[in-house]
Amino acid sequence: MFRTMNAVQQMARRSICSSARRQVENKVPQKQKVFQEDNGMPVHLKGGSSDALLYRATMALTVLGVGFTLYELVKASFPQKKD
Amino acid sequence: MAHQAHAMLYSVDPSPSPLTGAVAALLMTSGLAISMHFHTTTLMSLGLVLLLLTMYQSSRDIIREGTFQGHHTPPVQKGLRYGMILFITSEVFFFLGFFSAFYHSSLAPTPELGGCSPPTGITTLNPFEVPLLNTAVLLASGVTVTSAHHSIMEGQRKQAIQSLTLTILLGFYFTALQAMEYYEAPFTIADGVYGSTFFVATGFHGLHVIIGSTFFAICLLRQAQYHFTSDHHFGFEAAASYSHSCLMSYDSSFTSLFTDEAS
Repeated sequence: MFRTMNAVQQMARRSICSSARRQVENKVPQKQKVFQEDNGMPVHLKGGSSDALLYRATMALTVLGVGFTLYELVKASFPQKKD
Repeated sequence: MAHQAHAMLYSVDPSPSPLTGAVAALLMTSGLAISMHFHTTTLMSLGLVLLLLTMYQSSRDIIREGTFQGHHTPPVQKGLRYGMILFITSEVFFFLGFFSAFYHSSLAPTPELGGCSPPTGITTLNPFEVPLLNTAVLLASGVTVTSAHHSIMEGQRKQAIQSLTLTILLGFYFTALQAMEYYEAPFTIADGVYGSTFFVATGFHGLHVIIGSTFFAICLLRQAQYHFTSDHHFGFEAAASYSHSCLMSYDSSFTSLFTDEAS
């Protein structure tokens, strides 16, 4: 048990040390270039294919959701047969 | 002059977020009704997922418009500030409603309550135990958030990150303490008007603290990614104003809701 604790301690120390050395890079100028490109894309899709994927998933959920709501409300509107 | 001012404003690109947000609201409300009658939470959960997706995408888009496209010029920022002030004011009125409900029932207690306040049978919480600690925690977070603000304004990146992290941790500490209080409380939301007003007011307040912590967490990520400059960091100022108003509402709760038998 103590050997595992020692290993975990060493690992934690190593990962904290390495994250202190690894500086977060300033990627804002790159992002500014990407989002100011004159490609006619709306801002919610301008980031690339992951934007399109997220948009499609959200829209699918939206359409499904409206359908599901209408189904549940219609079902609730009619009296249920009590067994 | 008017043309110049107009050129500094911008129109947003068409976005699906208003539609998806509205549908999320539809799903959550009808889902809530369905869950109460048919004991199924699917619809409501779907609405919640859609809400989170909408919140993520719309705030991501606003960050793109401001930080990456440079659209948040001084006149636009002024509009954003007005918007935040109006929203916070509406939240203040929201809480005023719950306070008025409490005072309505406690200042003139009916015979059904025993003609006294706190009502007969209610064992109140000692305000000088966890509630006082919670007040101190929130006040401390007010100090740390001000420190973070000054660090941002002075371009001190590391200090800003540290103060912001401390602010978030204090928010989590508050939430943990409040959750424990809720678990240990000798009365419930179903215990008459005292229970109802207490848990609804403190419950909504607790939710707002969670919202504030989330807002600050996003600010922390943005600060780490160099989004904020020393004179343009409105997102952070919005989060700070929101949390300060939350703190004020807790201080008011402390002085009114947390009364003991002596008063």
